[in-house]
Formats: sequence, C-alpha cells, structure tokens
Amino acid sequence: MNPVIETIDIHGAQLSRRGLLAGGGALVVGLGFLPDSAEAVPSGAALNPALLSSWIEIGADNTVLIRTGKSDFGQGTIYTAYRQIVAEELDLPFDAITRVVSADTDRTPDGGGTFGFLGDVNGDGMPNLRKVAAYTRQALLELAAQRLGVAKAQLSVTDGVVSGSGKHIRYGELVKDRNFRLTIPVKGSQTGFMGLAVEGNPPMKPVDAYKVIGKSFQNSAIVSKVTAKEMWVTNVKLPGMLHARMVHPATLGSTLVSAGQVDKAKFPNAQVIVKGNLVGVAAPDEWEAIQAARQVAAATKWSDWKGLPGQANLFHHLRNEADWRTATVTKGEKDKGDAASAMAGATKTFSAGYELPYMKHAPIGPTMALADVRPDGSVTVHTHTQNAQQLRSQIALMLGTDVNKVVVRTYAGAGHYGRSNGGNAGGEDEAVILSKQLGRPVRVQWMRADDLQWSTQSPAAYSDIKLGLDAGGKIVAYQADHYMPAMQDDRPIGAVLAGLPTPPAPDARNTLWDGWLYDTVPNLQERGHGTWQVGQKNSPLAVGLRDHAMRTPGQYQQNFPREAAISEAAALAGADAIQFRIDHAKDERLKDVLKRLREESGWQTRPAPNPRAAATGDVAVRGQGMSAMLRSGTYWACACQIAVTPASGAIVVEKVTVVVEPGIVVNPLQLKRQVEGGTMMGVSEALFEEVAFDQSGVSSRDWQSYPILKMADMPEVKVVLVHRPEVGTYGGGSEAANALASPAITAAFHDATGKPVRRLPLRPAYIKELLAA
Amino acid sequence: MVSMTVNGKQREVRSSADTPLLYVLRNELEVASPQFGCGLAQCGACSVLLDGREIRSCVTPLSVAAGKEVTTVEGLAARWAKQKNLAAAQAENVLHPVQAAWIEEQTPLCGFCQNGMMIKATELLEKTAKPSDAEIKAAFTTSGPSAHLCRCGSYTAILEAVRHASVLMTKGALGESRTAPLKKDVRREPSRPGKGDST
Repeated sequence: MNPVIETIDIHGAQLSRRGLLAGGGALVVGLGFLPDSAEAVPSGAALNPALLSSWIEIGADNTVLIRTGKSDFGQGTIYTAYRQIVAEELDLPFDAITRVVSADTDRTPDGGGTFGFLGDVNGDGMPNLRKVAAYTRQALLELAAQRLGVAKAQLSVTDGVVSGSGKHIRYGELVKDRNFRLTIPVKGSQTGFMGLAVEGNPPMKPVDAYKVIGKSFQNSAIVSKVTAKEMWVTNVKLPGMLHARMVHPATLGSTLVSAGQVDKAKFPNAQVIVKGNLVGVAAPDEWEAIQAARQVAAATKWSDWKGLPGQANLFHHLRNEADWRTATVTKGEKDKGDAASAMAGATKTFSAGYELPYMKHAPIGPTMALADVRPDGSVTVHTHTQNAQQLRSQIALMLGTDVNKVVVRTYAGAGHYGRSNGGNAGGEDEAVILSKQLGRPVRVQWMRADDLQWSTQSPAAYSDIKLGLDAGGKIVAYQADHYMPAMQDDRPIGAVLAGLPTPPAPDARNTLWDGWLYDTVPNLQERGHGTWQVGQKNSPLAVGLRDHAMRTPGQYQQNFPREAAISEAAALAGADAIQFRIDHAKDERLKDVLKRLREESGWQTRPAPNPRAAATGDVAVRGQGMSAMLRSGTYWACACQIAVTPASGAIVVEKVTVVVEPGIVVNPLQLKRQVEGGTMMGVSEALFEEVAFDQSGVSSRDWQSYPILKMADMPEVKVVLVHRPEVGTYGGGSEAANALASPAITAAFHDATGKPVRRLPLRPAYIKELLAA
Repeated sequence: MVSMTVNGKQREVRSSADTPLLYVLRNELEVASPQFGCGLAQCGACSVLLDGREIRSCVTPLSVAAGKEVTTVEGLAARWAKQKNLAAAQAENVLHPVQAAWIEEQTPLCGFCQNGMMIKATELLEKTAKPSDAEIKAAFTTSGPSAHLCRCGSYTAILEAVRHASVLMTKGALGESRTAPLKKDVRREPSRPGKGDST
C-alpha cells in the first residue's frame, strides 16, 4: 500500500494523498466520525470497506459517482435533484454525474430514511450531498492550486475545468493516476432513524451563480420503468428460492391454537412453517404456494379476540375510554399570552371538534421481500424499503446477531408513503424467519388482504379547537388540543408473531407537528395528547391497530382541524378566508403565497357561505375553500372548488390550485409532478379513505372495502411554483400536498351548503345524512 | 403443454392450465412487466393485451390464453414497429409512442401501476386515435373489470401522456424521438441480486 504522504485541512475535512497509482485514480470522499459520535466507524464482513465510506467519487474521466442511503419512492429526487445539487456545487454539467448508488446498506454511507431529501429534516435545508460536494470542491481547488502554482483564491471552475492565471486543468487530470482521500466530519448513527449527518460549514456556491439547479432535468429512473427494464424488487430471483405466503392470525389478538396441514395430495411440494404465532406456507412454485396457503389457512385454528372498540365506536372510545394520561402533554413552541382569559373576554367564540379516520398507506403492490439466511449466519434481504440501515438493525435485533452480518439491498417497488420509515413494510422479517427455518432463500409476497389487514395505518385522531374573536373580527385567542394514538410503530410484525425481539412499542407522546402560522394572534395555546395504540394493551400480541407515519405524518392530523377551524372563524368574522389569513400573518413568505393563491385560483373574495348556498335539493351547489401549511421549509397554500349535490350527498372536486414556495426550486417539472400526485392523494383521502374495522381487526381487505380515488374522480390540478432564491435553501416538496385538500374541501363544503363538516371522509352516505340532520 | 404467442414469439408453457397468466409470465417466461397488485382484478397493475384486448392476468387462467397472442410492455415497441411495417433495423430503435409519451411527460412516480396504465392507453389509442378527456377517463375508470388505480396520484400526468401519445400516433411518428437520450439517460447503478453478496 502506498504511504500517506501529506494531509491538508479543508474547512474541517481532511484531504490525504497517497502515492502514484498505476492507471485510474480518484478522489474518494469518505466519512470521519466526530469524537462525540454515537457509534464507531461501521465495519464488518458484509461491508466492502473500499466502497462503504464513499459519498462521491471523481473519476479520471471527469465523471462523478454519488451514493446516498436514501431510496427512491417515486420522488425521483435521487436521480434529479441530487445530481443537480452535486453538479452545481462542483461546477459540472448535470450529465457528468453518471452513476448513482442508493440505499444498499453495503454500498452507501449515510443511512437515514426516505424523507427530508433536501435537508429539511436537519432544519437547515442542507442535504448531506450538498455539503459533501462543497467540501469536495474545496479539496479539488486545493489540489489545483498546487498543481498549477496559482493561489486558490485566483481559481475559477467551469464545467469541471479549473482555471487561473491563464492555466487550466480538468478535475479528472487532478486525480489521474493518483489516489486521494477526503475525510469529512459526520455525526449520528448510521442505523438510526435519521442516519448520519454531515457536519461543518464548507463554503457553498452562491445561489445567484446557479446554472444547473432550477432546470427541469428528466428523471433517469423513468426510462427503465417505462421500457420494462427496471429491476423491481418483485423481479428478484435467487437460485433455490421458495415462494411463501403468510397465514396471518384471525384477529389482531389471536394466538395460534393449531396450524393446518398441507393437503399433500393436492400440493405435494408445499410445506407449513410455524414459529410461535407465525405461520407461513412455502413451495417452489408460486401458484402452488398461494393455493396451499389458502388451504392451510382454512384448516388453521386461532383463539378469538374482540379487543377493539369497532369503527362505529372509535371516537366515543378515544374521547371517553382511552387514557390520555399515558404520555406527557406536549406544548406548542409558539404558545404565548393567556388563551383561557382572552377567550373569556372575547366578543365571539367558536368551539368545534374535528375527527380523522384511520387510513392505509395502501401501496398498489402489497409488500414483498426476499431473504437469504446462510449457514454462516450472514443475512441478505432484498426489498423496497425507506430506511434500509434501520431495517438492517431491526433484522439483527430480531435474530440476536451482529448488525454487520446483515445486508439490505433496496430495489424499486410500489410507493408506500412512510410505512417503512423506521419500521418495516411487513414481509422482510417474515422472509428472514422462514429462510432461516428452511435453509433456502424465501420470497414472501403479501396478498392484498394481508397488506390492508396486517400493515400499519395512519393513526386516527381528533382535535378540539376553540377560538375567540374581538369586536373587529380578529382572533384574540386560539386553543387547540390534538389527540392521537402512538405512531411510529417500528416493531416488525413477523418478529412480534414469532415471539422474537423487536424494538419497543412506540412512544405514546403526540408531537405538535403543525407549525403555527398566524403570528399576530396574541394568545395561543396548543397541546398534543398521546396514548397507546387502540387495542395494544389488551391484545395478547400487544399490537392492536398498529400505526406508522404516512405522508405528512401527524401534521395531516393537526393541520386539518386548524385550517378547517380558521376557515370557520373567518366565516364567523364575516371575512374572506384568504384575506383573514393574510391579516393574521406576519411572515412575508406566507403572505406572498396567500396572495398568489388569490390571483391564480379564480378565487372570489367574499365571506363564506356562498350567497347561493343550499343544503337541500338535487341541483349541484358550488363552493370554494382554502388551506395553508408550512412544512419542511416550504410554504403551501391550496384552494379547492367543489360541487355538492345535497340530495345524493355526492361531492365533485372540480379544481385544485396549489401554490408552493420551497425557497429554491431545484427541478420545476419534477416538483410539479410531485405536487400533482400529492394533491390527488389528498383528494382521495378527503373523499374516500377510511379503514374499516370491527372488534377483532381490520375488515378492509381489498380495493372495494378500502376505496381510493379513480381517474374519473380527478380534479383539474393547477400547480404554481414560486421560486424564492434568496431563501438559500431547498424546502421539501413530496409531502404536504396530500394534506392540503382536506381542510380546503371541507371549507368549500361549508361555502356551498352553509353547513360545516368536521370529519372525514366525505362519502355520499355521510354527507347525505349530515345535510338531512 | 400450453402454446401461446407472447410479444410476437411462440412459447410453449409447462405451468398447469389453471395457473393465472401473471405467474406464468413472470416466473416461467421471464416477462416481468405485469405486476401483482391485488390478485382480484381490482387495480390493473397486472394488465396485458390478449388478442389486443386489455385483461387482468392475475385472474386469467393460462388455459384462456392458449393459442392467443399476449402483448406486454416488453412487446409494445415491436407491436408498433409491426403496425407501421418498419424494417428490423429501424424497429430495434423504436419505442411505442405510448412509452415515448410516458417518458416525455415524466409520468411515473413510483411507477408500479404504470405497466397497466400503458397497456390500457395502448388499447384505447388503437381503437380511438383521438380520444377526448372524458373518453380517456372512462377508459381508465369504467371500461375494464375495475378502474386502473394509481396510489401516487399520477392521473394528471397519465391524462397528459395519453393526449401526447395520441398526437405521436396520429401523426405517424416512428416513436424514435427519445431513442438517443434514452440510451444516455440510464445512469443508475441499481441493486442486482448476487453482486457483492459473497464476501
């Protein structure tokens, strides 16, 4: 090995150079743990140390490879924005970023989940790769300064060519036949929820010098998906692999009485695997496995359990029976004044309760994973996951093995919007357990009913809101109490059923997720109340209705009641809903998106309800409503125009306008597509989505019992992107959009009919009943 | 043995005659674009064309496909080339206009349902060259055993892509417009089973 001959400090990173190499050459950007880091440098037999600690590689041919621990769930960010950000900081063209490696635990450095792609979860709008690229640029300038004999400050870069004092050199030539290593500071835990974060403050390229960011580059992942060349997780096959289907318990609290036997006359190659309450059926042929599993399921006996309140009693249960003293009450960051006293002195008051149902992530493809547990104890899981490193630690915990024995490989799959953020999607742990038992690779595919009945859900929630208005119609006091059972259940269900170790049940505290927007309100009190998951404490399996983050988690449950109540308060004050919000805002970014919404949406400036509002008749009445949100550094405003037919209860969402201001817009076309999709999901959630359950478990088992939006129901969607470069950071764009429609649609319903609606979904039977009451 | 034509090639199949076509295609014939979504003909992720008509392969037994012609996304480009009588050399560089439109409009988000969406679009446009928006929505909602569902909510992008594909098809384009960037754009290093698994 060539000796280290020199180390140079690069804004806190360490650039080291080794001797000459025969051919090739690269600058490899790796990670160095800060002294207070939570863990030692990752290592282990399953990892390739030459690749592990590398985020960016600059090749001798001036091309760049980037790696990220995050996976793509359809956001496209890894293949568009990440390449743009790295190209921008390095002054390279977009196409110079030729290779992207993501979310394989042995091939990527940082871990973390598929959320906050653009750094917004760090609160600084600085994704890891932006900082890594900035460090790398400084290292390259240092090398160029030495090679050219020109001071670093005199150098400039265009398309990967460093120039100064009439001399030029390409990045590729700087690294050719040499082997450089740049070690940058990081902190955090690779297998933790957040993964590793790059530390320090390397100089960033000024935003006004951007050339690559802000352009609509295409998502390279789309070509392979459209031409049937994608390696979907569903396509992965291993030699000797068995197909498996699970026989899940009869209820969420059932224990196994006796497992059925395979009818060998019909299914000669199938076998049953039992571990605790986990029952699976495996066969070399997939169709045989499916049929044999059905036959075994019919012959398997489970204990009975009726520990859930049932769907019709859910909110009675949450309001009257759930123990909200389980968890510490959380308080709003912006709380101020004395809301109770101010409420008592208000001219008009408003008080209402809002209810949101359980919803399912409901990926179009039910969860599927393939595991290969070898006799030497090594474990490889092939899956589609949002947090591969954390899944790896959960599998290791379940097996009682070293995390370095476990590798998770991530492939394209059906987007599931949060279900495996920290948790698992369902099949990974089951595949591992079956593979270990059978000594062969096992592919577990959940069927549609497994996915709806045994996956986690978005938690139901209710909120009580009180508002006081002064004589001038301004809000003088706002009080919100948000109630939601525990979310973020990271316990793999297969491990639970098999009686194997899992992470603890989720913390019951309810975070205050929805940042307060209306800063002129003098008296503000927000509280978050949490409790155990429904059924969790009396189920022998300790699971109940398991919850996990779903797109815009928690904030959806809190923004809906707040924005719905603000619209109702505007109506009570006789004020226009947009102007009412502008009048209560101080933040200029918020005021600007609200004004833009008014201009772009065809908004009629007037108080609600509509002068032509009607709550009866078989002629459609029309209304408008709006909502606003701040999420992950991005300001959002949304207007919905709807038609309601009172006699039938039918609601048609005719048009949705969404104004998005994320600071810097990295890729306008990709952001627009994300917002359109999120908006459509939001309309689906508002109109249709509700988990059906009885006293024993989830009774939604297919797309008829868990309906989602169909194309014929789609509104016209207008997306308005507001680029505000002076903000200097990239806000999030893949969440929030799905949460905006619900409060805008309920406000539009009030506008159209003169009657408020305070729970979702707005299915015709409920609307008809509500209007008739 | 059941015999059928898959993407223009005659195939002999060993799977039992009651096996749903989906598993025959994916597991025996290595034709992987149809996806398992529900197994109930409720979502459209598994759609293929059977003698030009969209069917749900998850509930269609192999016996029903015997002797017939199955077209999947893998075979769309060749189907278009044949319809347009393109020479073999040309045909290799062609995308079906539906695929070209899906790329140019950047339609897929997660993309899992898009196989069925492209199959449905192809069926529609072969019958109705210039569909209205209402006809497009009806095709994807009420024309088959169920609506084609997209969880990511890409319906706007699908609508725009069908309109775009209609223009490409009716003006007789070869669908070659995306060929060059197509080759250049594939820049990912996707996970591959096996690579690096042994240490």
